Amino acid sequence: MGKAIVITSGKGGVGKTTSTANIGTALALMGKKVCLMDLDIGLRNLDVVLGLENRIIYDIVDVADGRAKLPQALVKDKRFEDRLYLLPAAQTTDKSALTEDQVRDIVDELKPDFDYVLIDCPAGIEQGFLNAIAGADAAIIISTPEISAVRDADRVVGILEQHPLEEEPRLIINRIRRHMMQEGDVMDVDELTHHLGIELLGIIFDDDAVIATSNHGEPIVLEDNNPVSTGYRNIARRLEGETVPLMKIENQEPGFWTKMKQWLKRG
Amino acid sequence: MQAVLLKGNQNGYQLVLNQSASFEDIMIELEALFEKLKSDPISIEASKVSFDVLTEDRILQSEEKKQIEDLTANYPKFSIHKISANVMTVADAYFLKERENVHLISRTIRNGQEIQLKGDILFLGTIHEGGKLITTGNIFSIGNVAGILHAGFPNSEEKLILGDLHNAQQVRVGEQFDVIDDEKLEEDVQTIAYVNDLHVLTYGSLNELKQINPKLYNRIGGH
Repeated sequence: MGKAIVITSGKGGVGKTTSTANIGTALALMGKKVCLMDLDIGLRNLDVVLGLENRIIYDIVDVADGRAKLPQALVKDKRFEDRLYLLPAAQTTDKSALTEDQVRDIVDELKPDFDYVLIDCPAGIEQGFLNAIAGADAAIIISTPEISAVRDADRVVGILEQHPLEEEPRLIINRIRRHMMQEGDVMDVDELTHHLGIELLGIIFDDDAVIATSNHGEPIVLEDNNPVSTGYRNIARRLEGETVPLMKIENQEPGFWTKMKQWLKRG
Repeated sequence: MQAVLLKGNQNGYQLVLNQSASFEDIMIELEALFEKLKSDPISIEASKVSFDVLTEDRILQSEEKKQIEDLTANYPKFSIHKISANVMTVADAYFLKERENVHLISRTIRNGQEIQLKGDILFLGTIHEGGKLITTGNIFSIGNVAGILHAGFPNSEEKLILGDLHNAQQVRVGEQFDVIDDEKLEEDVQTIAYVNDLHVLTYGSLNELKQINPKLYNRIGGH
């Protein structure tokens, strides 16, 4: 029996969809069977980020309304044999097209076949949000170090405390700009975690490569030697129960070989 | 069985209505008693006689109280000072308990959450930006407040807020409210917010409490 995890934030644009795609891909790389569920109905993106946009036949609303069977709607990511699937959102309707019970039923139907069901939550705290948390066993809250994102994350944690899931929510701090955090222009990781009062699951640095790769429909986590990729892989390992130390905020001194390379380039 | 008993004590005259008598019997006996008293030399001499009515372990309905008052109105020299009972309704008791109770709160009030209570609050938790703590009584806070505190809701201006308020967004007492901007207040857990005689929300320190609110000062054990 797999675990359903909702990925939410309250605020839009903090990286819910990117994180869902990358954590899911990282888990699939570790050999887990993962289904990604897009609940951002009407404004679906998860399929685009994964590069599966063209393969969608049926969507979640078709399944909920009985126009398609669940296995028919699942889009398989061929890069991972049969370990990564997407249940796409509908694009022609809106968030009120689903009810909490329908979502719960679909999640319950997926859980026996997968190790993880990751639910990509829409922004906001309206029906779409309620649908997304309805079937979940656990929640991951995404926030950036920006104060507006922190406020909304706080609001969402409050709502989750009133409708508790099986597990306490955990926090991912996304889009950390090292130099800003080092200079104290934004709240640092400890401050943020302490303020929100929930457990930290991981931190992700800001990197242009995230946008570049998702534009090609390839999650960044497929890259090697990228700090964002490492961040998401660490998060996947922590979800699996491993103890992985947090990445350092400080810019590391260039190592011997890096210096050599730079020296050679200059020469 | 006597339904109405006239008693005299140092506070004046008291009419005790027997709790096991029916209300009809009480009214009959009461009228008879008033008729008898009317011609009593003491009441002829006195300009006005006022009675306290005790209903023992019975609570009169407002209809019944009105009947007694209407009866008394027939006798210009007599009046009812007050009608009281030895008991109260469960609802009243709860209300009183709520109002007198000091609620101990140690949870986190997050953005968008609002806690509304009756009575005084001893607050040990944290209020995040956008969180609200509202009560009819006083608020004594040793927690971290970055949201809104409202004492004396909706309109009792004699209530106050004690605690470190320098990080709060707003402080409200009764109908008065104040936006706490940067550096308006010092970081001091003994800050008191109260409404002064000019109906302006003002800040003081705990050691000025005796001047600010002598009643409260006495109640929390000062002399």
